[in-house]
Amino acid sequence: MPIPEDTLRAAIDRIIPADDFPGAWDAGAGEYILRLLTGELQLSQIVESGLKGLESEALHCFARSFISLSPGEQDEVLTRISTGDVRTTWNTSPRQFFDTLLNLTNEGYYSDPGSGGNRNEIGWRMIGYETRVPARGAAHGRENVL
Amino acid sequence: MSQYDAIVIGAGAGGGVAAYVLAEAGKHVLVLERGRRLAYDEVGRDQLRNHRLSLYGHNTGPELDGNPRVFVDPGGAVQVVRPHEGPYHNNAMTVGGGTRVYGGMAWRYMPQDFRMASLYGIPEGSSLADWPITYDDLEPYYERAEWEIGVAGDGKGNHFQGPRRRDYPMPPLATNPQRLLLGAGAARLGFSTFTPPILVNTVPRDGRDACIQCGMCVGFACPSDGKNGTQNTVVPRALATGRCELIESAMVEKVLTDAGSNVTGVSYFVAGQRKIATAKAVISSSGAIESARLLLNSANEMHPRGLGNDYDRVGRNLQGHYYPGALAIMPEPCHDGCGPGISIATCQYNHGNPGIIGGAMLCNEFIKLPIIYQKRAWPADVPKWGLSAKRFMRDTYTRSVHVQGPVQDIPNPEARVTVDREVKDKWGIPVARLSGTTHPETLRTSEFMRGKAEEWLRASGASKVWSEPGRLQLSAAQHQAGTCRMGLDPRTSVTDSWGRVHGHDNLFVMDGSLHVTNGGFNPVLTIMALAFRNAAHLAGTH
Repeated sequence: MPIPEDTLRAAIDRIIPADDFPGAWDAGAGEYILRLLTGELQLSQIVESGLKGLESEALHCFARSFISLSPGEQDEVLTRISTGDVRTTWNTSPRQFFDTLLNLTNEGYYSDPGSGGNRNEIGWRMIGYETRVPARGAAHGRENVL
Repeated sequence: MSQYDAIVIGAGAGGGVAAYVLAEAGKHVLVLERGRRLAYDEVGRDQLRNHRLSLYGHNTGPELDGNPRVFVDPGGAVQVVRPHEGPYHNNAMTVGGGTRVYGGMAWRYMPQDFRMASLYGIPEGSSLADWPITYDDLEPYYERAEWEIGVAGDGKGNHFQGPRRRDYPMPPLATNPQRLLLGAGAARLGFSTFTPPILVNTVPRDGRDACIQCGMCVGFACPSDGKNGTQNTVVPRALATGRCELIESAMVEKVLTDAGSNVTGVSYFVAGQRKIATAKAVISSSGAIESARLLLNSANEMHPRGLGNDYDRVGRNLQGHYYPGALAIMPEPCHDGCGPGISIATCQYNHGNPGIIGGAMLCNEFIKLPIIYQKRAWPADVPKWGLSAKRFMRDTYTRSVHVQGPVQDIPNPEARVTVDREVKDKWGIPVARLSGTTHPETLRTSEFMRGKAEEWLRASGASKVWSEPGRLQLSAAQHQAGTCRMGLDPRTSVTDSWGRVHGHDNLFVMDGSLHVTNGGFNPVLTIMALAFRNAAHLAGTH
């Protein structure tokens, strides 16, 4: 089963919400996560199963899909998951799922754009980190590689 | 007749130097390196797959598949681990070894570090011992390493260092805002500080550029090639003699002996084939984990417990470094963004701490990549997600300071490398099995140093200071050491004071394995200095 992108987007946009800087999805964290998971089977299973659990949790608590909840309601569902205080039956550890999603979202916001996230270095610009690495190695072509 | 005068296994900090010294002295040398030469663009800039943060892979080997180790955790649980996973305790496996991707702090150990048992006594359960050589024995070779590999520093800055005959070849790193803050804090507390020495060109040298201050030192290759490792200094010089041959992707299986104790060469795998190379002497410079593994895997009918292992000493006393420290938020931004970022250190607490064995050098951290700040620096009282988490990253990154240092490991003979009975690598060679923890005294020193880091940051005007307590565990990754310790007694050591394996006149170890203790410092300059000294002795030019 593929990752439900709308649910993923809604969840990671609560982990890093938009303010005057973009939220996680618009900063490329979603793209980062989807790209990474194609090569990481175990993580992919945790995220897939967890997003299913998240959706069932939303339906149980609010009788609506996670994506149609208010930000406050979404946070309530995520808080339950992050503390393991879930009301439905989960196939994966809710806390492990939350920690995984938290880590992946941050990686997609703050690590190098080469992995698909941190679009236009927006995460770095927000915090004041400026990469001073040249686009190509200054020594490119004359580096001593023996 | 032997094909070579010497075979050097591993082209890292120790092996690169050994090959150079021997080749320069007219010896014919074969270097077998299990990794490859990697150009700058091959090492890359992936901030999630490098030797600082290896979440999904590494940039400098070994390959994730086919190179497992076995790890036994303190609770006794056994797991098979891959190279990018923490319990593997990896060091870069490429030409240059760890020096290809290190930060390059260039510390001499202090005179006291060579006589820890005499100074402090031996804690129960520890194998703490004096080195069979003194600081004075090594001093000329520290100097040689500083000049031949290339160190920038202030030779007069460190009031606690041992005597030095000569200053560093290059001026120290530039100052930065953190240095001003922490320097004022140290002055308030009444201790001295200085610019830490580093294996980086602060000026063009050796035909290569100076550092361009990119700020991606640790875990990565250098874009200006101004970071000095063995791959851009002694290894090319060894090859330039015409007497040194380097074979990449060559995995040594065993050191071979004749019917007695004489070593005849090695068997190794390259391009899927097993080959034999013969030599008058064999030098293992594979790092503290792989050198021990190799000696143990070289067991034969004459030496059923492995080479140099008649007294069950090979692989014991595995050491590394605990890195206690603390983080702080300063009232104003204090990042200028210029690498390497380290700018101020103290050796005030390496020794002489009441009731504590040893200590550590303390230094501010290299430029911290944002993702590492997010993953490893998060204070417990700040929410991990939501707008307040985002604000924390945004408001504090350029105001954060991290002070930390490597604690002198108190060796435990039960922290050790053995070879696993079942798990083999892709060549069919039994893999290293790591078990045990450091001695509890290491943890006590570590907690003491954590307190000192916090104190320094508070005195420097921090508005918030936090840190994490340590826990008893194995510590043996990039700074791995101790598994073939030098000594005078074959019953308590593996090699003599020249790195010659007891019982084998022509078998040597030249890497961190030799370190009886590992100092309260990054160990690489000591690995290099020992290799300069011991290889010169072997070459007869000592």
